[in-house]
Amino acid sequence: MNRKTKGIPPEGIVSIARGGAVVAGVFCLIVCVLMVTTYIRLRASHPLESTLIQSYVDRLTDAPENESLKKEIRSLDLLARRAFFTGLWQIRVGSYLILGGVAVMLICLKLAAAYGKKPPAPVAAGPSPDESISSTKAFKVILAGAAAIMAAALLISFLAKSTLENQVELTASSGQESAEGEAGTGTRWAEKGDYVENILATESLVTNWPFFRGPGGNGRAAPGAYPLSWDGNTGEGVLWKTEVPLAGFNSPILWEDRVFLSGSEGGTQEVYCFASSTGALLWRRSVENIPGSPAQPPAVSPDTGYAAPSMATDGSRVYAIFPTGDLACFDFEGTRKWAQNLGLPDNHYGHASSLMVYDDLLLVQYDDMSEPKLLALDAETGRVVWKVLREVAASWASPILIYTGRRPELIVNATPFVTSYDPRDGRELWRVECLWGEVGASPAYSSGMVFAANQYAMLAAISLDTKDILWEAYDDLPDASSPLATEEHLFIGTSYGVVTCFDAKTGQILWIHEFEEGFYSSPILAGDRVYLMDRSGIMHVFEDAPEYRPLGESPLGEPSDSTPAFGRNHIFIRGEKHLFCMGG
Amino acid sequence: VNRSKVPYIRIILVLCALGASFGSKRAEALIRFPHPEFESGHVLPETFTPAARAQVLEYVDVAVLVICLSLASYLALRKRSRTGLFFLMIFALLYFGFWRMGCVCPVGATQNLALTLFDPQYRIPIAVLAFFTIPLAFTLIFGRTFCAGVCPLGALQDLFLLKPVRIPGWLAQALGMIPYAFLGFIILGVATGSGFYICRVDPFVSFFRRSGSINRLLYSAAFLLAGVFIGRPYCRFLCPYSVLLRWMSRFSKHHVSISPDKCVQCRLCEDACPFGYIHTPQAEAAILPAQGEKRRLLTLLVLVPVLVASGGIIGSRLDVPLSRINKTVLLAEQVARENTGKIFDLTLETETFRASGKPERELMAEAFALRSGFRKGGFALGCFLGLVLSLRLVELSVRKKRECFEIDRAACFSCGRCFSACPREQRIRKEKKGRIVVHEP
Repeated sequence: MNRKTKGIPPEGIVSIARGGAVVAGVFCLIVCVLMVTTYIRLRASHPLESTLIQSYVDRLTDAPENESLKKEIRSLDLLARRAFFTGLWQIRVGSYLILGGVAVMLICLKLAAAYGKKPPAPVAAGPSPDESISSTKAFKVILAGAAAIMAAALLISFLAKSTLENQVELTASSGQESAEGEAGTGTRWAEKGDYVENILATESLVTNWPFFRGPGGNGRAAPGAYPLSWDGNTGEGVLWKTEVPLAGFNSPILWEDRVFLSGSEGGTQEVYCFASSTGALLWRRSVENIPGSPAQPPAVSPDTGYAAPSMATDGSRVYAIFPTGDLACFDFEGTRKWAQNLGLPDNHYGHASSLMVYDDLLLVQYDDMSEPKLLALDAETGRVVWKVLREVAASWASPILIYTGRRPELIVNATPFVTSYDPRDGRELWRVECLWGEVGASPAYSSGMVFAANQYAMLAAISLDTKDILWEAYDDLPDASSPLATEEHLFIGTSYGVVTCFDAKTGQILWIHEFEEGFYSSPILAGDRVYLMDRSGIMHVFEDAPEYRPLGESPLGEPSDSTPAFGRNHIFIRGEKHLFCMGG
Repeated sequence: VNRSKVPYIRIILVLCALGASFGSKRAEALIRFPHPEFESGHVLPETFTPAARAQVLEYVDVAVLVICLSLASYLALRKRSRTGLFFLMIFALLYFGFWRMGCVCPVGATQNLALTLFDPQYRIPIAVLAFFTIPLAFTLIFGRTFCAGVCPLGALQDLFLLKPVRIPGWLAQALGMIPYAFLGFIILGVATGSGFYICRVDPFVSFFRRSGSINRLLYSAAFLLAGVFIGRPYCRFLCPYSVLLRWMSRFSKHHVSISPDKCVQCRLCEDACPFGYIHTPQAEAAILPAQGEKRRLLTLLVLVPVLVASGGIIGSRLDVPLSRINKTVLLAEQVARENTGKIFDLTLETETFRASGKPERELMAEAFALRSGFRKGGFALGCFLGLVLSLRLVELSVRKKRECFEIDRAACFSCGRCFSACPREQRIRKEKKGRIVVHEP
């Protein structure tokens, strides 16, 4: 039964209400379209992003005294702002208009519904629908839905991997302990935190020695119980000693139970894999038959030799480079995965820069005199991923990889710059001009400061924040040995036997000690000890302290210019003819 | 009348609702750019911090709430006036919705109460506590009269309900599980200090405040559009407070009835209720469970602890994804990801964190402690959902004999549509007004 009204029939009211709703709706729609248009216009023409005003401002830079131009800019700016705020006002008013319009439309629609309602028509008598059918269906749907959700949740619980666990691996051997947030977490951080904070490393990189001067190439060993003394002549403290077939100044690298070296005496280029526990030579492979490889080896200096660059590993493959430009990749079983020649480097001493791996990129500092460059190759295929041509002289230094808390940085030394690159894409991040001469020492990093030094040039302490040289020094600088930066100190070993300890923050010389032999090997920090081997093969161990506090001197029994590898509580040293493992 | 225009009107309606909320405040956010760098003679107005709202006004809100609830209960149970409830609903929408901008509301106050339980430092304001408890107390006595005429969220949806479409009962039952999950989730969010998620998913607050991002407005418009056809979609399939109201209403002392006296089984009420909350009469034959159904019920009762335990175990295993609702955990994960060196650009959050000088180890320790909390919370949430699921399945397996049309006491909003459609109700009203003279035989 329809509602009865005085005067106007219900049909009339319905008709009027629907008409009113249409009018209100169209009104709202128009306002809505206008508002959206205004909004889009406002977004597109923000006063601060006006290209016209900017062009006028640019003109003003050239003519700062031009008063009429200033006046014009002001009036344009005022105009733009006025237009902007007018647009805002329009939107604000529009929203009220729409609210009003919607209210009218709703009232009209409700009226139309109320007066247009058909009289109720009772359903013909009959049995009510059986609710149990609906309930049974609901039962099945809910059960099936719950089972599906539980299965999905279970799957997600297995698949969900938190990146936090990686942090735990870095900081604690037991993820569970850290996950519980117990006090132990802090202790473990304290043990390893200082170490891992400054390098770009994963757990495996930390505990192994994958590059020249260790993880990140920064000369810091993972905490461990490393031997303090040995005697290579008597065998005391020497776990094993194995002859290396071919000579080379490259330093050992370590990955779990394997130690890798390369050797070459000009004609033959070889890669060796030793068992870290016994010293057994597991395999040796020749690096040969590489397209583009020179028929004759280039001339090199005796101090550099034919196998100066240290190898690198990512845990599944090892990489070796030689002064011929031959670059090869082997898996851990000695199968050659790929090899290529990078072109004979124009280098009068012989190529000496060691390799570095970042993620799945093999990084090669290839600074020669003709076309100095930095390369990143796909570690799996050897394909060049990026290449940066550099405006530097030839360099014999090796890159270091650091993590500054914000990003990874690959820092390389070559006259005249210390340059930082993003290892992911080769983008140059910064450069500081502070080097000259023939650079052989690699950079060092600690606590937001990069240290670069070269004999006959200078030692520069560069702030990573400001890229300013905070302090500099000019005496007793390194030739081949790279600096070691610890939290407080900077150690420099020279080729003529002088070791200087600086206050890393201020540059104040804390102590100088003169040894009998010079240093080509680089110092390594292990705990609070600094290990530095002289050219005669005597390992000098002293405290990372503001005074010279010697802890021991251990002879190798043969000369050595390589930098030892630290890992698994052992020290691996390459002598002139042998590879030694010191400890236990 | 051109009836074909009506659908267009509804589309316009929703578009305009979106437009109305497309309002000033979002755009106003854009005006926060620097003042001109030159002197223009314009005197900048002084900036000032608006004074806090007077506390007495909070008690005024509580008083208005009590008055509205009393009035709604009176109109629904005593006066049985759908028209009265409708106008009360309009008032509530204007006052609690547009005037008070949807805050405080009892739905959101659930979070404050949860926070009181989990954070000993937090002191819940009396007004908020009152907003949470008073509607529940009224519901326990009078049924869900709060939903009928006081809740602004319900009111807005009711106004937009123009072309009701009945959802199949099984689907409505299944979707009705969502509020339980949501309630559990928001309590987990509050217990772990992750945030107030009810406010984040409230689809109508952007209309009340006439502000919000485009995504938010589209989300709100989608709810309104659904609400044109589906009766109160938020109240039925999302509102976590409705879970508590259901519990109260199921045991309410009084409740609206369809017919003022006897049911004539005309089925008009069934047709009038757009929510499907009218139970139809069930003959004895229909409710006698088969042998298989009896076995099913017994099996279910035995399986209750198994479902609860399974839910708990699965919930605790979801600690990693669940913990990502927490900003600290998200930040820690982002920092950890950046530390792998595989992320090119820092986010604003990680940049701010790194600039703060706070050690990463502290952040990581916090994140792990939170994750541990999520493990425990996930277990509790899983147990709760397992229990709800079991009970719902048991409930669906139990048949009830019913001789006339009855309201679903737990779910019914007490909106009055059913009794206003009841011919017995109409007849009695007319009798009272003297329009009909009844000749007793």
